[in-house]
Amino acid sequence: MNYPIWEITTFGGGSLIALISVLHVYISHLAVGGGAFLWLTDLKGFRDNNPAIHDYVRKHTWFFLLLTMVFGGLTGVGIWFIIALVQPAATSSLIHAFVFGWAIEWVFFLGEITALLVYHYQFDKLGRKNRLLIAFLYFLFAWLSLVIINGILSFMLTPGQWLKTQNFWDGFFNPTYFPSLFFRSSVAAMIAGLFGYVTVVFLKTGDFRDQMLKYCSKWLLYPMAGVVLFGIWYYFAVPADIRQTAFSLNPQTGPFVIILFVASVLIFLAGIYFSVKSRPSVQKAVTFVLVIIGLLWMGGFEYLREIARKPYVINQFMYSTSVKQSDVSLLDTEGVLTHARWSAVKAITPENQVEAGRELFNLQCLSCHTVNGIRNDIVARTVEYPYMGIMALLDGQGKVMTYMPPFMGTAAERKALASYIVTELNDNAILEEPEPYALHPWEDVDIPAYNKKKDQYLLLAWNDLGMHCLSDADAWFVILPPANTIEAQLIKRGPVPEIVSDGVQLSYAVQKGFENPSAHVDFWKYSKLTFGVQLEENVGLGGLGMNGDMVWEDDLGGFIAKMIPVVPYPDEGAYNPFPAFTIEAKDAESGEILASTRVVAPVSTEFGCRNCHGGEWRWKGVSGMTDETAIRILEVHDRINGTDLLAQAEDGKPRLCQECHADPAVGAEGKPDVLNFSAAMHGWHANYMVFDGAAACAMCHPANLKGNTRCARGIHSKVDVTCIDCHGTLQEHALGLLRGEEAKPSAKRLMANLTSKQVESVDEINPRIPWLKEPDCLNCHVDFEKPEPGASGYNQWTEGPEELYRIRTDNAGIRCPACHGSTHAEYPASNAYSPLHDNIQPLQYTGHPYPIGANMKCEACHIIKMEDPIHHENMMRVMRNPVH
Amino acid sequence: MDPTSLIPAPDTIPAPAWLFQVLNIFTFMIHILFVNVVIGGSLIMLFSRLTRKDETLDQSMNGTIAGKIPTTFALAINFGVAPLLFVQVLYGHFIYSSSIFMAVFWISIIPLLIIAYYAAYIHVKKYSASKTLSMASLLAMSAIVLYIAFVFTNNMTLMVQPEKWSAYFTNRSGTILNVSDATFLPRYLHFIVASVAVAGMLMSIVWYIRDRRGTKGMEDKINSGLKIFAIATCVQVVIGFWFLLAIPSDFILAFMGRNLFYTIVLFAGILLAIGAIISAFLGKLIPSVIHLVAVVAAMVITRANLRSLYLSDVFSLNDLQLSPQYGVMALFFIVFAIGLVSVWIMLKIANQVAERRTV
Repeated sequence: MNYPIWEITTFGGGSLIALISVLHVYISHLAVGGGAFLWLTDLKGFRDNNPAIHDYVRKHTWFFLLLTMVFGGLTGVGIWFIIALVQPAATSSLIHAFVFGWAIEWVFFLGEITALLVYHYQFDKLGRKNRLLIAFLYFLFAWLSLVIINGILSFMLTPGQWLKTQNFWDGFFNPTYFPSLFFRSSVAAMIAGLFGYVTVVFLKTGDFRDQMLKYCSKWLLYPMAGVVLFGIWYYFAVPADIRQTAFSLNPQTGPFVIILFVASVLIFLAGIYFSVKSRPSVQKAVTFVLVIIGLLWMGGFEYLREIARKPYVINQFMYSTSVKQSDVSLLDTEGVLTHARWSAVKAITPENQVEAGRELFNLQCLSCHTVNGIRNDIVARTVEYPYMGIMALLDGQGKVMTYMPPFMGTAAERKALASYIVTELNDNAILEEPEPYALHPWEDVDIPAYNKKKDQYLLLAWNDLGMHCLSDADAWFVILPPANTIEAQLIKRGPVPEIVSDGVQLSYAVQKGFENPSAHVDFWKYSKLTFGVQLEENVGLGGLGMNGDMVWEDDLGGFIAKMIPVVPYPDEGAYNPFPAFTIEAKDAESGEILASTRVVAPVSTEFGCRNCHGGEWRWKGVSGMTDETAIRILEVHDRINGTDLLAQAEDGKPRLCQECHADPAVGAEGKPDVLNFSAAMHGWHANYMVFDGAAACAMCHPANLKGNTRCARGIHSKVDVTCIDCHGTLQEHALGLLRGEEAKPSAKRLMANLTSKQVESVDEINPRIPWLKEPDCLNCHVDFEKPEPGASGYNQWTEGPEELYRIRTDNAGIRCPACHGSTHAEYPASNAYSPLHDNIQPLQYTGHPYPIGANMKCEACHIIKMEDPIHHENMMRVMRNPVH
Repeated sequence: MDPTSLIPAPDTIPAPAWLFQVLNIFTFMIHILFVNVVIGGSLIMLFSRLTRKDETLDQSMNGTIAGKIPTTFALAINFGVAPLLFVQVLYGHFIYSSSIFMAVFWISIIPLLIIAYYAAYIHVKKYSASKTLSMASLLAMSAIVLYIAFVFTNNMTLMVQPEKWSAYFTNRSGTILNVSDATFLPRYLHFIVASVAVAGMLMSIVWYIRDRRGTKGMEDKINSGLKIFAIATCVQVVIGFWFLLAIPSDFILAFMGRNLFYTIVLFAGILLAIGAIISAFLGKLIPSVIHLVAVVAAMVITRANLRSLYLSDVFSLNDLQLSPQYGVMALFFIVFAIGLVSVWIMLKIANQVAERRTV
């Protein structure tokens, strides 16, 4: 915010820092360890009275001087130059917080080069005492410079108490100071041995050469014990949250961990190799390779240390974007551009949107990302995401995946940045909300015949959920299979009506054109893999086909046909998420039709995944998930969770999500440490959701008011009761689910940034189990009355499944949805395709679309007018919300 | 755009600004003398090799200095670290910005310095073995050090002129220079010619030491070095006035009496320079050296004064907030003292050996 930004978009400033630093750190560790090596080797020469050793030390010193003093010294200055260019604010902080540390470091540097120059130039002329003194002084100064720089480097990772006190010593002797110092000292000794080989392999062959190779091996191998032990100490000295961010969440660390371990093993093996006899030419080649491996080792370690600090450049003080943590809330409210001195745009207008986005990109992305470059390429990471996906990524950035800083700035700034990324960098179009679907209402809907006077039976049927979704990406994964459940109660009319359970046979048959779902979805190709059963085509998981018989279930007090595999794709014609089933009740003996009705089996493939993850609609460009979308989802899942679901799917083995994620909806127990499916989905996406209110729900569920389903069609939707009035906002909904999973570690991470306005603290949110603990209708409709203004169904859950609206009965054993319709389609419903379609039974039996028996139409079942509200209180009245 | 709005907010400093300014000026003075030797030495050697062929290193004038360049290089870099640190403490918000404008040139200094440093070694090590390689190294080294001086002149002039910083909005790729500035050329030359003078003086000193240790025929050589110094310094006076006249007129007035301290230091420097020229022409080494050191001190202070003048509208060192770290400061001075003593002991040990050898 303070400094101009060098637009080095392809190579990336970070890469330059890395390149210079890794080279420097490698050589500077040699400078320290090599100091001890020179001194002790020279001493050994005197003790053994062996001129050959002195001769070797002389040669090695020259090599050492050229490498450490020239290359090492200048790359050290180079780091300073490059960090000031790429991270000026952080450099300034480090310079000002540790001026005298740096100044002391400079004094040691002066002592170091003086000693080395004197040692080299006067090597043969100095007596034993003076030469060893100078060598020792060189080593001492070199090591002391490590003592200083180690304080500042470890400070950046773990500033400790300095954050509170700003005291030099608190920052310097920070929590990782000593483990890091011992670790680096061991590394320095190891590298001294490694570079010892470089000069030894060029000695004349013979005993002395072999002896020196073994000597170097000791230098290489013995310190490795320290590297391992102090490395472990160092690792555990780093606070657990930093370790989690770096090693569990940040996918960047993976390759470097591998490099570090493999290189360690190879270095160890090289040490063993040089302890045994071998051909000189091979030894030279091995040495050359070993120097490279050593560089990789050092690079691996330093990269890990740098990455461990993400998203900060100075932990918990300054982000990689040069913003101090303490300034974030100011920037969020007042905006980044007004506070960025070097932004050409100060206020966003529709005209300068993209230009403002470029400034924001420079300020918040460029410090880590390149554009079409070699490191963290922003284009590769974003090009597949549409605008809404980019918005979501920016919104969620830094919340769960804590290795990135949060996006800072106002909502308008976020839009500007997203616009820049989408249009300028990725050359994509901006679509701010899901594309509307051109829905063509049906011309009419037949209402089945019914004779109030003559007919003795009333057949009430309903779908159990009011909407069933199927993921329709069977080749890649299954969230939900085609599986609609239809229930029915047959009432024998009379002054005292009866619920008929015996002596009748209920059957169902799907609407014409929907008999052949296997022609439209791949569910049957993979059912053996995803559900463990090889199903016959067009037969569902309940063993039922597209027509068949319903069975009586005592527990439910009604008939049921479970998991009929209906899909919204007819053999001919348009997408239809509301296919109807004809239900008939026959006398079991005579086969006489006692009653007949039709019921909607709502089924949708309007999964909003593509809104953010990209891809098109699969089925006729209208609905369903394309391979493209599914693959991207798996890519993200694999990247974040370390799974290989995409590879498995590509191998022809798609998985059911609920194999790992428990879910009562499909009766899956999942894996013990993995969040249940609802908690995972809502918990994760709540952290990335830019839309508020019901619009957030509609981003994923088929409730988009302009979508191809428009699932929320009950009376609630007509009186402006939306998803959130019962379920809470997405964040609230997620919190309820996550509270139910709080014992699992990932729940805490997902909850960390979620809030609810309905409660003082998140602890007040009652945990719930998806599908089984739901908002109770009576939360708002207290005593079956009209809800008070502002009533909310949120945070009072049904105790268990028996209290659910879809299971519950009235005082007479009639199930709630039998008279009131399915959830989300409560009578009088208003389906966007046809106002009549979801109200077939009330229209058939009572002539109006209201709940069965509403407006005191008791005669529908009772034949006569009744006096008492026997089914439930407050029922003997005229419908409050008339429909015309 | 108001240029002051671009100036970054500085961080707090842990000791009074004057202390850092003193350290800055002191270490910079040592740094610049070493740098002068490297640049001036390279140019003199190049001139010498181009004009006098077929000489061995021992015979040639270059023999006195070629072997010293790599060591001087090391010390120049080391003593560059300190003033660069202190200038960042005081003027970081200016120099970071200007460095970013010329980031490409600025960072190129590092690899080029590495090459120049190795070239300095190759030049002397291969002087006899491979004339071509040696000459190529000398050429490379000379070109690089002249280039680095060029980049530094750009940066030092741009950092003090925030009114030019809006150039960033049309070029953010780190390739902005300041060569069109009226002071650019005189400033650059003022530094290059000074380098030749100082290198000439160093050669005289080397010959003087050899003379003291009993090597014959040094007297003429000492005088030839002093002559290089004297002539270069004459040119330097002329360029100095060019430089003075090139700065904004307000600043000239400040050096012409409006600011007494600035005026005294500058004129003391000019007079001392004239004194140095005279004593050099008279062949008096020691007084010339003393004059030279005094001139450099005066000019380094004048350089700092000029920087203050440039920035006077937007910044003064008094603006910096102090949050003291006196304990660490004291430790620095203790370490500094111990460091200097150690260096002195090491040099003494080395010197004893050298003397023993010549005797």
